[in-house]
Amino acid sequence: MIKTILYFLLIPFIFFACEKNSTSTPSSKGNETTGQGGSLATFAIVGNYLYTVDDTQLKVFDISNLANPQLRNTENIGFTIETVFPFKDKLFIGSPTQIFIYSIEDPAHPQKLSSAISPTVMRRCDPVVAKDSVAYATLRTNGPCGGTQSMLAVYNITDITHPVQVYTYPVSEPYGLGYSGDVLYVCDKQNGLLLFDISEPYKPTPINVYLHDGLYQDVIPYQNTLICWTSTGVILYDITDNRNPVLIKSII
Amino acid sequence: MRKLIWLLISSLVVFSCDPKPAQFRPPDIYVPVYGTLSEIKQYQVEPPKSTVQAGKIYAYQNFIFQNDLYTGIHIIDNKDQNPVKIAFLHIPLNTDIAIKGNYLFANNYTDLVVFDITDPAHPQFIKRVSNVFPSVDQDYPPFTNVYFQCPDNSKGVVVRWEKNDSIPLPNCRR
Repeated sequence: MIKTILYFLLIPFIFFACEKNSTSTPSSKGNETTGQGGSLATFAIVGNYLYTVDDTQLKVFDISNLANPQLRNTENIGFTIETVFPFKDKLFIGSPTQIFIYSIEDPAHPQKLSSAISPTVMRRCDPVVAKDSVAYATLRTNGPCGGTQSMLAVYNITDITHPVQVYTYPVSEPYGLGYSGDVLYVCDKQNGLLLFDISEPYKPTPINVYLHDGLYQDVIPYQNTLICWTSTGVILYDITDNRNPVLIKSII
Repeated sequence: MRKLIWLLISSLVVFSCDPKPAQFRPPDIYVPVYGTLSEIKQYQVEPPKSTVQAGKIYAYQNFIFQNDLYTGIHIIDNKDQNPVKIAFLHIPLNTDIAIKGNYLFANNYTDLVVFDITDPAHPQFIKRVSNVFPSVDQDYPPFTNVYFQCPDNSKGVVVRWEKNDSIPLPNCRR
């Protein structure tokens, strides 16, 4: 049974484009920087293209003229498509039943790759961040996501189409996540923001827990600011020292 | 033997009288929210306001953007880590955005809209690309095993479905 609005609990599987800024740089003309979304996005900009997902489709907009986007392509993907995340030259598209992997080597014409991440390995409802050859996913058991144990899971993604789970750590109700340097930030709803040391990437160790107000949903580590989406709005932390966030302000 | 039967029957009665069987759960109920097409496509820049239903977040340069579910985008200036809400960009039915080179892309019902945010406190409307996103289903909510108020077309277009478990059980079900 779906308990809350479609927005939160139907969230499938999310990547955080750790190289978003760098991948957008080559096609940028000086000041044309690209922003950074959270781990629940349905919009993603890579270079001169805006990719969006809706219920059944992936849309490709050419934004080389930013003021005049052109719909270039529409791919029928499946049903209940919920998130899109760029990682390197791939798009990972999350649905409740499957993760579709598209190559955007030809950015205007995404090509479906033959293999997808098996939902038994990295299931739906699993926000993920990727860093080099490691991916962190939060698996939770409430809502429609299934499973028996909520946890932070660690995958070896040396072969990105065949992630191998190498480590797990129990977490009560994990949602979005992100990292800055060797610290991983995991949103754990009413339990706050969990910090993990990932200097050993395949074996994160808990450092600390931060809890100010609201339910922690998602996070964007952005320069020296950690932007947290909570149920009340946004909470900002200074992460100049990435393992000792300092509360800046709660914006409601 | 008869005693045994009575015992069995009475135990059944006791169990069936349990006021809260473990399996009981009230059904989810959805109600349609109506709008007119002209209302749906009206955007405007408003003064900063409190967040109602905190939505997705987006970072761009010194600015932070947060969707307020189905109503628009809070624009927050985070210059020198002194965050201040500077405007609310009202976009009906908006859920997500992305930004490149001072252009903000947002969904607005079935359309993609573009704003110039060179001055983020005063976004300027630039472009609308119509009918590129699917509309909300006019007949029923996108869930199964739920009850919902039967849509009434005379009230306008169904712009979204809202969960509301406090109303009496409606007739429509799927």
